[in-house]
Amino acid sequence: MEKSKGKVAGFFGGIGRFFRGFGEAVAKGDLFVKLSLIWMGAGYFRRKQYVKSVLITIFEALIIIFSVVCSAQYIPKFGTLGTVKRASEFNPVTMKNEINDYDNSFMILLFSVVSIVIWIVFLLVWISNVRRAYELQKMAEKGEHINTFLEDLNTYRNENFYKTLLALPVAGVVVFTAVPLLILILVAFTNYDQQHMPPAELFTWVGLDNFISLFGGGGLTITFGYSFVRVLIWTLVWALFSTFTTYIGGILLSLLINHKRVKLKKLWRTMFMVTIAVPQFVSLLLVRNFFADGGIVNTICANVGLTDFLRDVGLISTSYIPFLTSPGWAHVMIILINIWVGVPYQMLIATGVLMNLPTDQVESARIDGATPVQIFRHITMPYVLFITGPALVTDFVKNINNFNVIYLLTQDVYTTTNQALANSQAKEVDLLVTWLFRLTQEYYNYKMAAVIGIVVFVLCAAFTLIAFGRMTRGDREEVYQ
Amino acid sequence: MKIKVSDIVRHVLLAFLAVVWLVPIVWLLATSFSKYTGMNSSTFFPEEWSIDSYRNLLFGSDTVAQFPNWFWNTFIIAVFTCIISTAFVLMVAYATSCMRFRGRKTLMNIAVIINLFPGVLAMIAVYFILKSIGLTNSHLGLIFVYSASSGLGYLIAKGFLDTVPVSLREAAYLDGASEAKVFWRVVMPMSKPIIVYTVISSFLVPWMDFVYAKMMLNSGVASQWTVAIGLYNMLEKSLINTYFTQFCAGGVIVSIPISILFIIMQKFYVEGVTGGAVKG
Repeated sequence: MEKSKGKVAGFFGGIGRFFRGFGEAVAKGDLFVKLSLIWMGAGYFRRKQYVKSVLITIFEALIIIFSVVCSAQYIPKFGTLGTVKRASEFNPVTMKNEINDYDNSFMILLFSVVSIVIWIVFLLVWISNVRRAYELQKMAEKGEHINTFLEDLNTYRNENFYKTLLALPVAGVVVFTAVPLLILILVAFTNYDQQHMPPAELFTWVGLDNFISLFGGGGLTITFGYSFVRVLIWTLVWALFSTFTTYIGGILLSLLINHKRVKLKKLWRTMFMVTIAVPQFVSLLLVRNFFADGGIVNTICANVGLTDFLRDVGLISTSYIPFLTSPGWAHVMIILINIWVGVPYQMLIATGVLMNLPTDQVESARIDGATPVQIFRHITMPYVLFITGPALVTDFVKNINNFNVIYLLTQDVYTTTNQALANSQAKEVDLLVTWLFRLTQEYYNYKMAAVIGIVVFVLCAAFTLIAFGRMTRGDREEVYQ
Repeated sequence: MKIKVSDIVRHVLLAFLAVVWLVPIVWLLATSFSKYTGMNSSTFFPEEWSIDSYRNLLFGSDTVAQFPNWFWNTFIIAVFTCIISTAFVLMVAYATSCMRFRGRKTLMNIAVIINLFPGVLAMIAVYFILKSIGLTNSHLGLIFVYSASSGLGYLIAKGFLDTVPVSLREAAYLDGASEAKVFWRVVMPMSKPIIVYTVISSFLVPWMDFVYAKMMLNSGVASQWTVAIGLYNMLEKSLINTYFTQFCAGGVIVSIPISILFIIMQKFYVEGVTGGAVKG
């Protein structure tokens, strides 16, 4: 705890220094430093860094052009997300029906967010630019050497090399992940759904309404609260079972294969690996048909009399076994099939860990007369847990978001008979992410999908934070260097 | 060596498990050689064997099945994704592992937070952004989707670079090498295992992915699809009876190169996931 406080304080301290430096630069800077508040190239120009001066001026000009041409159109409408609905109007001049100059709510949202992000970046560049101008002034006063443009470029191969390396990857993340996430988070506070689809219709801000209907408040979507609780419970049950079954299964299997009296270890390992080498969309779609209502497994079960037996016992009421089509059966089958997919992965990892098991401890324990079970419980297991513990947490979070297994096994096959769930487009076997996906892809209900997305994030963040101390590898990173 | 009962039990258990694990795969192989085009639900092995489904899949493209096209599309997308992703991952890994700069920890923490959002969520907005610039239903858009944010997956590579001895780099600095030169000439040549791992794993992304491709390529033009969507489409209710064996054949064909790459990769996978901890 102490440490994280220190981190937070350091973070805000850094921000404080950043702005203090700016204040000092403005107060104590010469004419050109002050001028660079308006013309960003001024400071560089004064110190004869002409190329840099031109480049930063072009940058400033581009930002201004962008603001005038693009932001000015959209930012003023950000408060309402547009007021003019698309309509076809008769134009007396051309004597034709023409589309009016309508507002597109999504474009307003998109370009407003983009503008705000660009402006924040610009503000930071602008402040550090003034500070840099002031630094140059101080260097010039002391008579220090001021870099030429080529020398400046050269720093990007040396002490500033990290900037060269990070520029493109960070830009990629900002454009393709950060900004989209920001937009979707904002959509959670709007009424963007099938009735409010741009460009034909407008959508607008509705505050916390969507959150209220998800958590069981009233409104037309009253069943969302009902579905949410059920989907959430299944998501957590699934994540718990799928993580632990594959984890323990993987360790047991690798212990079995790596036992010193087992022959042909490589062959056994390869046999299990075949299932993960086949792409999931092939293997899962195949298994789905394998267990289909009229599929091969059902035929075999009927032939050996299992189907009749289950019907007599009362576990099924149909003439086939609904492996993936009725609630209870599907839940169990999904977890079992996931064991089939997941155990070989965990076996691979556990094999890697077990091969590095400190043998001296095991040997001395054996000499002291420990039984194999005791060795496993007190030496092997703690060691494996110590190393794979953090991975266990990541696996849990990954399973909360495990889209493939659920979607490929149940999409188009499983239909719910629960009307309340169906009203909110959920199914008993849905995870939060598959529900979210269906809401957007089939029902265009972006507002609820966005709210669910935020809930998933909070869920994952909570679980990660609990295990955060173990997950941050920052403290270990220099140990082996 | 004396044979004990426990040894027999172990081997029998392993054999039993192996059979359970391989049954669906054997069924995939067997069905792909079936003469009947639909799903065979009466017997485990097909009643009549033939290689028709392979022949139709590879040489007899129709409006539904255009496997050679799909394979080629996926291959092209995979090559570009692989190049961009590998570059991004290694760049971020080197910057965060080998260099010390202000904001490094903050940047890494932000990456952790972004990774906690479900990827599908961001993709919904990405779809609209790409749509507004006309890049949906194009392979370029899909390449962007796969590779643009790949820098976020830098942790495994970073874990590897963390184990490269710092003394090697220091020696190079003393000889007057620039940071860029250290990156190219010292650290990269030492990182072959992790480069191989990154190359293969990013090459496999478009072959394994289903969701993003389904979101991006939604126009219904079969010739544009990747293998995943194409094969998924074959299992539509109205098509499954004509194309199920072709689906199996396609599954077998894509699985072969992927399996080979996967087996090469898995050794690095284990090293990567368990990180430096194992080496100690």
